Amino acid sequence: MSVAASFPKHTSFSMRASFAPADGLPETENKAGEPENTYILRPIFQQRFRPSVVKDCIHAVLKEELANAEYSPEEMPQLTKRLSENIKDKLKEMGFDRYKMVVQVVIGEQRGEGVFMSARCFWDADTDNCTHDVFMNDSLFCVVAAFGCFYY
Amino acid sequence: MEPGKRRTKDDTWKADDLRKHLWAAQSSGPKEEKKHRDRKPLRESEADLADGKEHRPGDPDREAKHRERAAERDGHAAREHPRGDRQRERRKDRDRPKERHRELDAEKPHVRGKERERDQEHRARREELRQAAAHRNLLARDRDQDRDGDRPERRRAGSKARIEEREQRDEDSERGDEDRERRYRERKLQYGDSKDNPLKYWLYREEGERRHRKQKEPDREKKHREKSGTRERREKSSKEKGSSFCGKEGEERHRERRHKEGVHAGEERPRGHAERKERSRREEHRRREAKDGEHRHRGASLRRDGPGSQHVENSVRSDGKDRDSRRKEIEKEDVDLENVGTDEYTAIFEDDFEDYEDDFEVCDGADDCGADEPREGEAAEELPPARRREIQEIQKAILAENQRVGELSSKLPEKHGCPERAGGPGPEANSSASKTPLCGIFMDFATASHRQKNRTQTLKQKTRSAKLLRLIDMDFSFTFSLLDLPPVKEYDMYIRNFGKKNTKQAYIQCNEDSVDRDIQTEEVETREVWTQHPGEGAAVSGGSEQGGPGDSAIVPKVDTPRLSSFLRAACQVMAVLLEEDRAVAEPGWVSQAQDCTLPFSDSCARLDTSLPFLQDRRVSCLHACQAQRRTLVSVHGLPGKALVPLLDHRHVLCVWDIRQPSGPQKVLVCESKVTCCCFSPVKAFLLFAGTVHGSVVVWDLREDPRIHLRVTLSGCSWTFRTPTFSTDGVLMSVNHRSPLQAIEPITGSVCKRQSCVLSPFSTQEETAGLSFHIASLDESGLLNVWVVVELQKADAAGSISDLGLIPGGRIKLVHSTSIQLSDSLSHKGYESWGSVQTLSVKFLPSDPNHFVVGTDVGLVSHGSRRDLRASPRLFRPQQQGPRPVKVTVIDFSPFAEPVFLAGCSDGSIRLHRLTAERPLLQWDHSTCGRAVTSLQWSLTRPAVFLVQDDTSCVYVWDLLESDLGPVARQPICPDRLLAMTVVGEAEKTRGGFLALVLARASGSVDVQYLRREWATPASDELQRLRLLLREGP
Repeated sequence: MSVAASFPKHTSFSMRASFAPADGLPETENKAGEPENTYILRPIFQQRFRPSVVKDCIHAVLKEELANAEYSPEEMPQLTKRLSENIKDKLKEMGFDRYKMVVQVVIGEQRGEGVFMSARCFWDADTDNCTHDVFMNDSLFCVVAAFGCFYY
Repeated sequence: MEPGKRRTKDDTWKADDLRKHLWAAQSSGPKEEKKHRDRKPLRESEADLADGKEHRPGDPDREAKHRERAAERDGHAAREHPRGDRQRERRKDRDRPKERHRELDAEKPHVRGKERERDQEHRARREELRQAAAHRNLLARDRDQDRDGDRPERRRAGSKARIEEREQRDEDSERGDEDRERRYRERKLQYGDSKDNPLKYWLYREEGERRHRKQKEPDREKKHREKSGTRERREKSSKEKGSSFCGKEGEERHRERRHKEGVHAGEERPRGHAERKERSRREEHRRREAKDGEHRHRGASLRRDGPGSQHVENSVRSDGKDRDSRRKEIEKEDVDLENVGTDEYTAIFEDDFEDYEDDFEVCDGADDCGADEPREGEAAEELPPARRREIQEIQKAILAENQRVGELSSKLPEKHGCPERAGGPGPEANSSASKTPLCGIFMDFATASHRQKNRTQTLKQKTRSAKLLRLIDMDFSFTFSLLDLPPVKEYDMYIRNFGKKNTKQAYIQCNEDSVDRDIQTEEVETREVWTQHPGEGAAVSGGSEQGGPGDSAIVPKVDTPRLSSFLRAACQVMAVLLEEDRAVAEPGWVSQAQDCTLPFSDSCARLDTSLPFLQDRRVSCLHACQAQRRTLVSVHGLPGKALVPLLDHRHVLCVWDIRQPSGPQKVLVCESKVTCCCFSPVKAFLLFAGTVHGSVVVWDLREDPRIHLRVTLSGCSWTFRTPTFSTDGVLMSVNHRSPLQAIEPITGSVCKRQSCVLSPFSTQEETAGLSFHIASLDESGLLNVWVVVELQKADAAGSISDLGLIPGGRIKLVHSTSIQLSDSLSHKGYESWGSVQTLSVKFLPSDPNHFVVGTDVGLVSHGSRRDLRASPRLFRPQQQGPRPVKVTVIDFSPFAEPVFLAGCSDGSIRLHRLTAERPLLQWDHSTCGRAVTSLQWSLTRPAVFLVQDDTSCVYVWDLLESDLGPVARQPICPDRLLAMTVVGEAEKTRGGFLALVLARASGSVDVQYLRREWATPASDELQRLRLLLREGP
């Protein structure tokens, strides 16, 4: 099983993490004369993290990338990384302003073993959300979970 | 660094605990963060600006100073670092735990208070030192010596360490109370001076230690050199705005002042501790209070220093705990050796020393070193030898530890620091290059700056988060189940991998398009009904009860009468054909018939009289139908023995078709003996009979057989018809009282000579057929004429008015007229003979109104129904006079000749012409005197007639052949002949026949077909006969 995840360092995944800098991350350095931070506490409605849209995006990517994929232990780490970066970039393009995207990709071989994956988040349920999509074929399964955390 | 101040101002911030945590997690000091937080943004920005300037190597204002100092520093660094770094670090390490508190608590104000003085002193000293710099440079080679000189310093450091240890011990013991104390102290500080000596002592000592520690922190000094120092200068310059030129001088002034103070303080040292302490304390306090505002400003700059030193401290701090434990052990030993006095002394010494050192701390590094060295040496010398040893031991241990720490710390900074070092411009790059063995420690600075930045950022983020968290609710989401893939069973796995091997899908056929539909509801029964209101007639409502479209097809378009007539005819034809076939097929039967064939006949047929109900019955009478020439009726008498109980006392009449000899067409029964009978003239569907009882009975042969008696005899069912109408008991007034002698139909003239034989039923014919009368003649000479009436509707219940009518019958007789013939006969002059018996009657075929009656006196009376006088009244025989001769048989010629034959009981046969009284011809002896019982004209030949006498002899007469006697005579024996009749048909050219039906005594009835010579007439026979008849008389 090969796992790659894009998520901030403070998350407690013990997996390879490719950190996705938040889109539209405000410059935290305070310059002299710059006005105080405008603490936006809620995303603009149109730019909310919409799980369905994200899911479609993930699905499209998975379908495209894994259409004829076969599991091979050597290639999977690169594949997971590529996938996670790919999806992350796609998500960024979708214009979820001030969202920090965490994309976690898990690819495992289909060998008949049982697998159970779950995620739990400590977040602000009003703004943050997550979605996931599963792709399966005869030789592998791929679980992609995307978390969107609003950056205040 | 003013944690104490901070705390006094911001109690909400639990600094110690938090700081510990933060340090543990990260080397960045929270103090700085706190400072940042407390500082106003403006100041922060100022500081940042200052920082930025500081870091920039090329600051035009400073260039000159820097250059000067750089030279000093270089020299100083080259000389001092190898020696100082380690030592100072060591000390620093030891102090760290305490330092934290000290830094936080009391030190800051004091230090700060002195800072200004120190600045002045330093400036003064710097000038001196600048002069000495050259000398020092020259003495660079004396480094070894300097190192040697380190020992006393080290000793002194050891003693200091010991003191610190003791203090720490005290602290350890009191650590639990520390918080409390601190709070107390803070209160004290807030509320001004205090008399609480112990507290003052602690505070003082802490201050001292702080100073002392500061002196021992070369890192910090270095930093001071790099940052703080310059920064201070810059600060000063920024504070003393516009006085950048005089800044140096001012600084120097300050330093000098401070130096003086320090010296002054040093002189005062020997005085009483308490006194001095108190004084210094007060001084400090005063100063602090007075310069509180300033402190803050200055604190900014100093605090800026803080992180740097603290970084270093922290980097080594990880070992601190180990050392703490070790230190405690050592301290125990110390406790024994040390006395309070020493403690006090060292404390004082240290205090002063620290004061002095504090100055150096703030000063440029170059000045520090020069000032330090002699003191260190002093301090080492002042220690007692016993202690010195201990100190040395401790120092060794510390050294070892420090080396370890150095290794560790050198590893860490290498990672982070290398890139910085490589790119790091300015003096540091030089120094790092020159001090490669100590680069680990150097790297600490780079790391520190990096961390500092990080910390700054983190701090900001924390600030953000702290503020944001008040506005935001964070919570744990429920657990998303991303994937739940159940384990596959072994079998499934096998099937998935291998289950498809060696299999191939060929075809699938599923009968998808054949959809089976089922309806559970039953067929609705429908019926059409109509009704009408108000009702017209009987039919008010109705409908197709039997319903169904087949009705129209079933509707019979049958002409019922025609069909039945056809069927009947066909039936007859078929029956006849079958009989003939049978006759041909059964030679026995035919031969038997042949046996009985008489000489004058060609063939013979025997009617089957062996039927059960005809057995042992004698035929009394035979009568042939004139309309239907092949139909005859035989009258059977009562049987000799009882055979059929039902019929035994009844007389039976059988209607035969001679072509069907196997059985009678109809079987009729009658209660009384039938003496004479006749058929209806046009159609043979009515049979009239006269009985010995004087009654006239009628059978309607068309009647439904169901209303008659039906008897099954020997496998065949027979219908025995009872008379439809009988005159018995009815019409008593007009009815006959004597046995009937003859019964004759009287046909209308129109219907005369009807020859519709085979088509008896047509409406016209029926009505025509019924237009006739029946005349019945009894012995007494009463001739009754009856009208035959057909009822329109049969009444199954019987008729009340018509008593003689059978229930369901439609034919009845109505008395028309009665003619008493005896009257007319009697006044003819035959009165002497009594009453005259009438024996037979015949109506003229050409004129039904005229009739002839045979009497028992040899005369034939001629009468008319309309009371017209018939022209010969009587037909007399050739013999004159009355004779007792019965004229038994009279027969008119069927060929329209007005002649008739009369047979008499004396054997004479007379041929009369209607117009003449006397006979044309009379043959008296043709039968040898035997009575003529039957006489009939041939139906086919006009000149032939047949005679039977009572001796069972049959005579054939042919007038054309012989008018003298019969041409043939045939006695019938041994079976006597009882009755005879003639059937024949002349009209048909080919089918003409003449047959003689003979009823024998045995009961059998034969049909003798006469030979063709008698049957087939000659072409001119009638002419010849007329001629003969004309000639005859």
